[in-house]
Amino acid sequence: MKTTVVGAYPKISDEHQDLRRALHRLDRGELDEAGIAGQLDLTTAWAIGEIEAAGVDVVNDGQVRWDDLLAPFAKSWRNCERGPLERFYDNNTYFRQPVISGPIESDGRTLVADFAKAKAIATRDLKAAICGPLTFATLTAQDTHYRDLAARTLAVADALASELRGLRAAGATLVDVEEPALAAHPEHVDLARAAFERLAKAGVALALYPYFFPSTDLVEALASFPVAQVGLDVRSRERSAEAIDRLGAVKQIVVLGIVDARNTRVETPRELGELVEAALKHVPADRLWLSPTTGLEYLPHDVAVRKLGALTDAARSLGGVRS
Amino acid sequence: MTGILLTTTVGSFGKPDYLQKARNANARGKVSDTELADLEKKATLEWIRRQEDIGLDILVDGEMYRGDMVAYFAERLDGFTIGGLVRSYGNRYYHKPVIASKVSRPKPMTVDWFRYAQSLTSRPVKGMLTGPYTMLDWSYNEAYRTRRDAALALAEVVRAEAEDLERAGATYIQIDEPAIHARPEELDIAIEAMGVVTQNVKAKTISHICYGDFAAIYPKVLELPVDQLDLAMHNYEYRWLRLFDKDPFTKELAIGVVDVHSHRLETVDEAAEGIRKGLKYVTAERLLPHPDCGLKTRTVEESLDKCRVVVEAAKKVRAELAKPAVA
Repeated sequence: MKTTVVGAYPKISDEHQDLRRALHRLDRGELDEAGIAGQLDLTTAWAIGEIEAAGVDVVNDGQVRWDDLLAPFAKSWRNCERGPLERFYDNNTYFRQPVISGPIESDGRTLVADFAKAKAIATRDLKAAICGPLTFATLTAQDTHYRDLAARTLAVADALASELRGLRAAGATLVDVEEPALAAHPEHVDLARAAFERLAKAGVALALYPYFFPSTDLVEALASFPVAQVGLDVRSRERSAEAIDRLGAVKQIVVLGIVDARNTRVETPRELGELVEAALKHVPADRLWLSPTTGLEYLPHDVAVRKLGALTDAARSLGGVRS
Repeated sequence: MTGILLTTTVGSFGKPDYLQKARNANARGKVSDTELADLEKKATLEWIRRQEDIGLDILVDGEMYRGDMVAYFAERLDGFTIGGLVRSYGNRYYHKPVIASKVSRPKPMTVDWFRYAQSLTSRPVKGMLTGPYTMLDWSYNEAYRTRRDAALALAEVVRAEAEDLERAGATYIQIDEPAIHARPEELDIAIEAMGVVTQNVKAKTISHICYGDFAAIYPKVLELPVDQLDLAMHNYEYRWLRLFDKDPFTKELAIGVVDVHSHRLETVDEAAEGIRKGLKYVTAERLLPHPDCGLKTRTVEESLDKCRVVVEAAKKVRAELAKPAVA
C-alpha cells in the first residue's frame, strides 16, 4: 500500500514563519516580486522535504503558492478574475469567488513552472493537482457569459484540460482533481462525469478526490468516472466509514482517506488498522493507497506532521512498501 | 433605544498602530500585560469617542483586547487548549482552539470590558459574545462524543456570560454565529444551543451571521431564539433579501451596507440604496444599517470612513422617509 497526500500542506509553523513575514513585507513594499518568488521556492522545498521525510511515497508540492483551490486558475485565465470573499465549504477558511466576464481561456501553462520547480526538488514520485471543474463552476460568484451551470462547468473543464496537457508535457504522470463540490452536490454527478470525460482527453492519469462530505452514496457512481484513482474520506464524519462497504464497486485504485485532516486528535494505530482491514475485504492491497482525508493545511503544522507520521506508520505496519 | 434606522456596527474595529505594536511586543515578552491593558483601554476610549463623533447609535467596545473571536474565549475557558497557527485566508492565520476536555467558565470573560466601555458613554454599548455553535465549529473537538454534546456544553458557558452581561447593565447582547450555515444539516443544533444561551435573557438579543450560504438555512434560521439577525448583505449584492419574498423576515434586521474586506470606500448613495432595499422587507424601526462584518481587518481610518458612510446613508434615507408622501 502506497501513501500519498492531498491538497495543501501548512505554509508556516509556529517556528517557521518566513513566508508569512515575506508576504507582509511584500504588502508593505519592502520586498519585490523576485524576492517573494524566492521565498515561495524555499517554502515549497521545505514542504516537499517534510512530506518526504514523513515517508510518504507519492508527494505533491504542498500547494504553497495557492491562496485557495481556485486561485491559480481564477488569476491566470482570461475573462476570469478573483471576486468576493466567501467561506470554503464548512471550514473557517475563506477563498475568493471567481467572477467570469466572457469565454474563459487558458494557455495551459498556469501550473507548469511550479510543477517543474517541484520536480527538481522532489526525490520521490511527484503528482500535480487541479481544482475540480464542478467545484470551480459552483463556487463562481458571477458569470455574465455562460448560460447556466452546465455550460460553465464544461467550459471550465475545457480550460482545465488545457492545464492538464501542459502538466503532462512538463512530465506529470498523475494529477489530483480536487472536487469537493461533487460530495457537496451529488445531484450534479452526471454533469461532473461529463466534465471529467473532457479532462480525461488530456491523456494524463487522474485521481478524483470528492472530500469534506460523506461520499457513501456516490461510490458506485464514482466508479464510472474516467479516472485512475478515486480518493475517499472514510474517517472524518459519522457516516464516512460506511463508504468502505461499497468499495467493491470501484475498479480504480482506491486512495483511502484514513487520517482526519480537519481534527487535531491523532488516530491510533488500531483505529487506522481497522479502517484498512475493512477496506481490504473489498479492495486488493495492490489497488489500495492511504492518505489524509483532505489537505493538511486545515491543521496546525505540528499536528499535520504527527498525522503524516500516523499515516506512514500505519502503512508500514500493514505491509507498506517503504520503510 | 428607539428610533428609525438606528446605526450600529458588528463588533471589531481596526487597531491603532501603537496597540498592534504593543500586542506584538507583549507576545515577545517585551511589553507587560498591565502596559498592554492600559493601551487597550486607551484604544477603547478612542473608539467610543469616534463612534459618538460619527453619530453611530448603538456602540461596541471595538474589541481592542481581542485577537480572534473564538480564541479570546477559548483562552479563558477551562477545557480548551490553544493550537498552532492555521491559515484563514491569504496571509492571515489564527490559533485554532482545541476542545481538549469538558469546558467550564472559571470567571466572567467580557463583563469588565463591557462595564468599562459603557462607563465612557451614555449611548448603549452592546455586550459581544461568540455563539456556541461557532465556538464549536471553529475549534477542533477532541473531548465530546458528538458535535451536539459539545455545542450544548459551550452553550452553558455562553449563557452564564450573557446573564452576567445583563446583570452588568447590557441592554443589547450580541451572540455571533457566523458559522451557523457551515453545516446546514446541523441548524437544529445551533438553534437548540442558542435557546440555552438566551432562555433567561431580557436584553435585546442579536446574532451576526456572515460569509456562507444563507439561503441554505433560510427560513429555518428564523427559529434562532434572538430578537435581531445581523446579516452581511452588501458582499452578496443583497441577494438574500429575495428570500424574504417567499418567506417573510420576522425579526429585526441589521443590514450590512458596506463591504469590510475591500479597501474601496462605498459612496453614501450606494449604502443608502442598500438601506432602501432593506426597507422593502423590514420597517425603518426594525432595520439597522451597519457594515457587513467586523472591521478589524481594516485600518483605523478605513474603519472610520466605512462607518461614516453607514451613518450618512442612514441620515439620507431618514430624511427621505420624513418627507410627506406626494399625493
